Amino acid sequence: MNKAVLISGLVIFAALVGVLFLNLGHDPSAIDSPLIGKPAPNFALKAVGSGQMLDIASLRGKPAIINFWATWCGPCYEEHPVLVQNARVLGNDVQFVGVVFNDTEQKIQAFLNQRGSAYPTLLDEQGKTAVAYGVGGVPETFFLDRSGTIVAKYTGPLSTEELQANLAKAMK
Amino acid sequence: MIFLFVLTLLQIKVPDIAEAPKGVPVAGAMLDRRTNEVASLLRCPVCQGLSVADSPSTMAQDMKHQVREFLARGYTQEQILAYFEKSYGQFVLLKPKFSGVSTLVWLLPIAALIFGAVVVLSKAKQLEEGPSPKAETAEEDPYLARVRELVEKP
Repeated sequence: MNKAVLISGLVIFAALVGVLFLNLGHDPSAIDSPLIGKPAPNFALKAVGSGQMLDIASLRGKPAIINFWATWCGPCYEEHPVLVQNARVLGNDVQFVGVVFNDTEQKIQAFLNQRGSAYPTLLDEQGKTAVAYGVGGVPETFFLDRSGTIVAKYTGPLSTEELQANLAKAMK
Repeated sequence: MIFLFVLTLLQIKVPDIAEAPKGVPVAGAMLDRRTNEVASLLRCPVCQGLSVADSPSTMAQDMKHQVREFLARGYTQEQILAYFEKSYGQFVLLKPKFSGVSTLVWLLPIAALIFGAVVVLSKAKQLEEGPSPKAETAEEDPYLARVRELVEKP
């Protein structure tokens, strides 16, 4: 019996150590999105500045990048120039959209005036779009192919390399 | 309601549950109670182990507001949980589902309890029976024989 207990204990211990090692270096907040491979959830939001409504259907036909951000998010300041620069270069072939939640139009407008803008920024006033996309923090970016299917999600501030690597999946 | 009617007229699509409500719309104190009950089953995605009902974060409040809206429109608890699960995966459910790998979450503690009970019972049985006659026999245990020899030495 003692031997059996010892062996069982060792098996459980080995399994726990195995799980621990497998997950070392894995960011627990970076959860794979269940939306990958599925059509992007619908939204119809007002653009900051112009006040025009923009919906998901208007993004179809071109690969699209939907970036969730907010003016209170530190890493978003770091990421913004990367998005603006890439949007200026790729703007004809790729649709860039910013979606801001838990924020005010005034603050967003001030941010964009100061730091530049190259694509529509939409205000998600009730956070419904962020919830529909499973956003758990900002910045988070979704890459959509021409048909509007989500092909990749990136959590955290994007660099040009990361943006282009994920965009390549959407361009296929 | 007027807001939804206007959206329908304008054919503007908003994030929503794709199917029709399967329950009965609730209101008043019942709506408050059910909102808290359903929100307590959802994990706040921006918090550390807090439910949507308990979290003061804006994100959790937005989610709670959505839960309330769905309940008021007659959606069932299952439909509401499924809606959030579609976006966040099973991570958003504080009570894991009894399916797939999650089954282990339910079964392993029970298996561990049964295993522990078997170990305790077998040990208790051994103690009840007393030490085995083999151990009592001095000739078979050189250590005991030596102790006895030393003790009995005048």
